Amino acid sequence: MEIRKIVGQVTPEERTEIQALFERKNGLTELAKIVTADNNDLYEKLIKDMGETGVRFQQWWDNKAKKYSWESHPNGNWEINFQTCEITLVVKDA
Amino acid sequence: MLQYLIIILDDASVSYCHYDAPSDSPKGESLISLETLQAGIVFAMKENLNIQFVYPSYALPAEYAEVIESIDHTKIKPDAQTKEADVVVLTAWQTQKAEDVEGATCIIRTSCQELSEHQEQVKALLNKVARLNIVLTDVESFKDADADNYKSLLETLADMLTEIFKTGRMVQLNLLTDRLQLTQMNNCGAGDTTVTLAPNGKFYLCPAFYHDDPSQHVGSLEDGLDIKNRQLLRLDHAPICRHCDAFQCKRCIWMNSRLTLDANTPSHQQCMVAHLERNASRYLLAKMAEQGIRMSDTHDIPEINYLDPFTNYKQWK
Amino acid sequence: MDTLDIQDHSNSWQEGRAKSITFIVTKDCQLACKYCYLVGKNTKERMSWEVAKKAIDYILDKEEEFKEESVIWDFIGGEPFLEIDLVDRICDYLKTEMYRRNHHWFNSYRFSFSTNGINYHTEKVQKFIEKNRNHLSIGITIDGTQRKHDLNRIWKTPEMEQGIAPKPEDERGSYNDVVKNIPLWLEQFPGASTKVTISSADLPYIKESVLHLYSLGIKEVNINCVFEDVWKEDDDMLFEQQLMELADAIIDRKLYEDHTCSFFMEHIGKPMNRERDNQNWCGAGMMLAVDAAGMFYPCTRFAQYSLRNKQAWIIGDIHNGIDKNKLRPFLTLDRTTQSTEECITCEVASGCAWCQGENFDAADTHTVYQRSTAICRMHKARVRANNYYWNKLFRKLELENQREEFERQKANVREPKC
Repeated sequence: MEIRKIVGQVTPEERTEIQALFERKNGLTELAKIVTADNNDLYEKLIKDMGETGVRFQQWWDNKAKKYSWESHPNGNWEINFQTCEITLVVKDA
Repeated sequence: MLQYLIIILDDASVSYCHYDAPSDSPKGESLISLETLQAGIVFAMKENLNIQFVYPSYALPAEYAEVIESIDHTKIKPDAQTKEADVVVLTAWQTQKAEDVEGATCIIRTSCQELSEHQEQVKALLNKVARLNIVLTDVESFKDADADNYKSLLETLADMLTEIFKTGRMVQLNLLTDRLQLTQMNNCGAGDTTVTLAPNGKFYLCPAFYHDDPSQHVGSLEDGLDIKNRQLLRLDHAPICRHCDAFQCKRCIWMNSRLTLDANTPSHQQCMVAHLERNASRYLLAKMAEQGIRMSDTHDIPEINYLDPFTNYKQWK
Repeated sequence: MDTLDIQDHSNSWQEGRAKSITFIVTKDCQLACKYCYLVGKNTKERMSWEVAKKAIDYILDKEEEFKEESVIWDFIGGEPFLEIDLVDRICDYLKTEMYRRNHHWFNSYRFSFSTNGINYHTEKVQKFIEKNRNHLSIGITIDGTQRKHDLNRIWKTPEMEQGIAPKPEDERGSYNDVVKNIPLWLEQFPGASTKVTISSADLPYIKESVLHLYSLGIKEVNINCVFEDVWKEDDDMLFEQQLMELADAIIDRKLYEDHTCSFFMEHIGKPMNRERDNQNWCGAGMMLAVDAAGMFYPCTRFAQYSLRNKQAWIIGDIHNGIDKNKLRPFLTLDRTTQSTEECITCEVASGCAWCQGENFDAADTHTVYQRSTAICRMHKARVRANNYYWNKLFRKLELENQREEFERQKANVREPKC
């Protein structure tokens, strides 16, 4: 069972920021499937980029969670709706 | 509304515009038949159209002159046949005799480079003719990099005109003086105000379409005029031109059809050339003001920051 | 809190902000659909890797001229999955090159496919999907019930390539070959929609087909009448009747709660303001298509295999680049300049669509500025049925005190655009 509850909203600018990071993270993940270590320069760039993008991505959530004090749950996670900028708390196995 | 009928008397009739007329037609072989000529004149009479006859470089048989003189008209003739010409097309820079062009309306077709190299001849002509129409034959290959050269050439011509005006001689040069007196578009009007009859008895939007491909006809004397999508030849159906104030531009739909593939849409080249001329007209106006020269019915030309109105298209939506 | 997840709820990805670049990877297809506008399909024109690579290099080299925020790399045919090896190589190259060049599109791209679905389950296609899962949009065309689908979407026979039509008894429909892949497709793309095309012969099957697609689990059905002049007398009445019956079924079975059918749009069928509502309908010119010969087109509908009457509208090629002059007519298109006065002042004008390619093909002269009106009666019939649908639905919702809730939850459905 899953419970979903809208717990907040970010600004459109904040949404755009996380959307770009989300897209980049996905792009890097799929690129990693085809770039091998023998393509040295690109591989190095990619590995570094994946690390940095992951950190920036997590920082966004940490900063916004702190800024907005969204409701949370030990078994839950937040989702953002890119169209409405709404943050939803999704609690599984409640 | 149609106002003019251009009748091409022979395939070898002189070109007076951007297109090239075939130069290899044997003399008289593609001359319009007398019957077609007569039918064309009757058509014009019934439709209340003014006729412009476009002549070849050889003398027409006498019976043609008789038919032609049966109606009020304008004669566009090459410089080899200037007798009774209303408009003389100069086929070379230096062949004309003074008496042939004195006080006349003349047309010269030239590339931009050639024009630049013949400034003295332009000056000489401006001192003789009543009006000089310079028709550029290489607009299609005009590059952005050519803009500065053409601008400076036009300004030189404007300076030249100012000097002539100072002597009291108010000669007209289409590239520079037309825009001074216009408050709205004054374009070629092919297919809208003007239609062309070719020696084959068929109608064309203009002589260029005939010379390009005779199958592009828009009706015939036999079946009548049939211009499809005629609204697209009007200014109000030309999205770029209706936002434009280069009023002197020919708005050549033949070049449009070749370069943008749509008759109602001008190419970047045509817009750029027309705007350089528009801006040079503005320069001329300023020079005339400096010298205290007055010309009747002139209007201010505002400063603009583009050479191609298309660059603003997103603002129109 | 453990993970932080993100959903992309948008129906039409980056609508209006994405450049759509189409690779016509093949002009071949396993099917020979009777309504297909691709009159020049053939087995010979398959894109080579060299052409694809050169096209990509040209486009990515010109980053300053392709300033759109996002890109949709679109693959079309024929049937694009017939060339899955090439498609896979193209996509790998695109990803690598966008990244290597630090191209702004690396942060915002999708790979989009319109497929007949026949090869969807194959190992190669599935491997490709797995590899590019987060950047894929795949539409499978299934036309409805088996009899509706098989009426048009038939297998190609070797004789057809010689221009010989099969006897009706020899026609073999493709429904069973497609429907078996629908569960896998919906499992992989739960929000996927299908596109249904209606021609004259399909009219009696509209209602059953839409309902059938819903029953297969497809919640969004994008459906439109062909733009070509194929309509017979009374087709509009038959169309209206079918749509009204469909409206009754959707409302009576409460399917409106979580299903959509693009025939029913709340805001269509209204007069349009001459100045304010003057946008062009179609995105031709904003898009770019490239074919096996390396020619560029303003959209696939201007390639020769899409045209019955006209020569292709080529705007350049991979060797010489794009001739911007040939794009000018498209970029300055608006509604009123290409419409007749009757269309401009039409009281039910909104939602009446057009295809720029069909307009061009059907035009009396070489222009994209003559709007084809072949669809007029069908649009008016749609408007009447649409009015019926919304009047009936809103009254029902009001009587059940559900109107407000419906408005709140209404799916964010947009007009489909080509």
